[in-house]
Amino acid sequence: MLRDSVGAIELRDVRRLFRTTTGTLRRHAKEIVALDGLSLEVGEGELFGILGPNGAGKTTTIKVLTTLLIPTSGTASVLGLDVVRDAKEVRRKIGFVFGGERGLYYRLSGRDNLRYFAELYAVPPREIPPRVEELLELVGLRDRGDERVEGYSRGMKQRLHLARTLLHRPRVLFLDEPTIGLDPIGARELRRIVSQLHEGGATIVLTTHYLFEADELCDRIAVIDKGRVVALGTPDDLKANVSDLSVVELEVFGIDASTVERLRALEFVDSVVVEQRELRQVLRIQTRIAERAVAPLIAAVAAGQVGRVAVREATLEDAYVRLVGRVE
Amino acid sequence: MTAALRLARQSAWVNFQEVAVNGFLLFAVVWQPLFVGVTTMYMLRHRADFDPMYVVVGTALSGIWSTLLFAGSGAISHERWTGTLELLAASPASFFVVIGGKLAGTTIFSLGSLVLAFGIGTVLFGYPVKIAEPGWLAVSLLLAVVALWATGMFFAPLAILWRTVGRFLLVLEYPVFALSGFLFPVLLLPNWIVPITNLLPPYWAAVAMHGAASGDLDLSGLLRAWFFLLLTGGVLLVIASRLFVEVLTRARRAGTLALS
Repeated sequence: MLRDSVGAIELRDVRRLFRTTTGTLRRHAKEIVALDGLSLEVGEGELFGILGPNGAGKTTTIKVLTTLLIPTSGTASVLGLDVVRDAKEVRRKIGFVFGGERGLYYRLSGRDNLRYFAELYAVPPREIPPRVEELLELVGLRDRGDERVEGYSRGMKQRLHLARTLLHRPRVLFLDEPTIGLDPIGARELRRIVSQLHEGGATIVLTTHYLFEADELCDRIAVIDKGRVVALGTPDDLKANVSDLSVVELEVFGIDASTVERLRALEFVDSVVVEQRELRQVLRIQTRIAERAVAPLIAAVAAGQVGRVAVREATLEDAYVRLVGRVE
Repeated sequence: MTAALRLARQSAWVNFQEVAVNGFLLFAVVWQPLFVGVTTMYMLRHRADFDPMYVVVGTALSGIWSTLLFAGSGAISHERWTGTLELLAASPASFFVVIGGKLAGTTIFSLGSLVLAFGIGTVLFGYPVKIAEPGWLAVSLLLAVVALWATGMFFAPLAILWRTVGRFLLVLEYPVFALSGFLFPVLLLPNWIVPITNLLPPYWAAVAMHGAASGDLDLSGLLRAWFFLLLTGGVLLVIASRLFVEVLTRARRAGTLALS
């Protein structure tokens, strides 16, 4: 639900370089471009997705916006506040969750972790106990709040992180791959909470590798690659980019790289993605000629190697593959 | 209570709970002073001028010093390892107050060495507790603890800004122990070393605590020691506050707040 077009977040030509060294005896400095003139605008109340392959600049973007990284050049602002100049004020108004289990005090209980983080965000002392209980209830940890975090499952830790980030009622939330590593039920629960927060009016920026998640949750999505925006729009807009395509899925056994290259070279084939599933491989072949492509594709693979065959419409994932040109 | 004080208190409590089960710091607070105290008692107790309180106070200081040296130099990197450094840095709270509070928790924990040192003297060796000036010793202890905490606060950003320096800090344990006269008078050392010892808060901590416990220092001598304790500790704290800002600025430029 896009509430209005007021810019809650703005990035203007943001570049971010990282310096690293290579070599053991002779060290050579090397510059890595993480963000290469990235420009974005997110409206207030919007749930905005950032997609991209590993190393595309998703996490760097989030870290710039959460004041953890200073851009090499360009400007970034949250709620009209510059993330470099007004960093302290920005921090009061935002919350963030980075994927993974770290970032909690394991020897403390979940409840004590929340109390401490509430102090860090200067939540008034009288408000802390009810707020902590309210959030433990929201993330389904009220009954386990007195247990030490070291005994929590990964999903519980992620939910505790989400509660942690909501303590001071932030106006903008940054969620960097919040469902990474969660089991399907845990991930669905987290998505439900994110949806609920969005309904409550929060501006949310979400990065994810799960395209169905972005499709389900986001109002708009930016696909970034090599530190630049390569596509921007609603999930339907992005899917419209591949409305001319169908996807033929071939389940195959033991095909080699040269066969995949042969498929890619076929005139009617737009792209081929190979997914390894134990002994089988699933080839996802984007094509403009739909069912008519099936017979020549099977012939190209060698009929004896083909198992299940299916033809379906292109999804957001297919749009993503077309945009980014590769999958991880 | 202001928000900063409340945050410092909470940070101290959070850290106290963590260090209380930290094997390495337990070693610094319990086992190391136990070894130091017992061996020194055996070495010195047959001397005619033997003062058991000197060993008790020196043993306590050695435990407090070791704990704050190790905890201080690892204070920020510990947060990085646990993945909480980014959360602290991206919160509106003062990083200096948070780490200061946490180190205060460790400092309180290190006072276990003092209790242990008295136990070694009274229970293990059966000496009576004879403190010449208990009130002055209490003041000296308080100021010593504050100055040693300030020293730990100085080490915390130093170890992050210059990693090589950080590694060398860990081997300062014994040199400072010896230069500060915890268990042996500094007068035994060459004269040229004395100006160096005067720059160290642990030295003034030892002067004040030994002086008050034995009654060897009159009030003017104690006031001088307290003044230098506060001065040396205060200077380190002011430098530390600048270094804390530098740590965060550099980390935000270099992108080194997280482990990955």
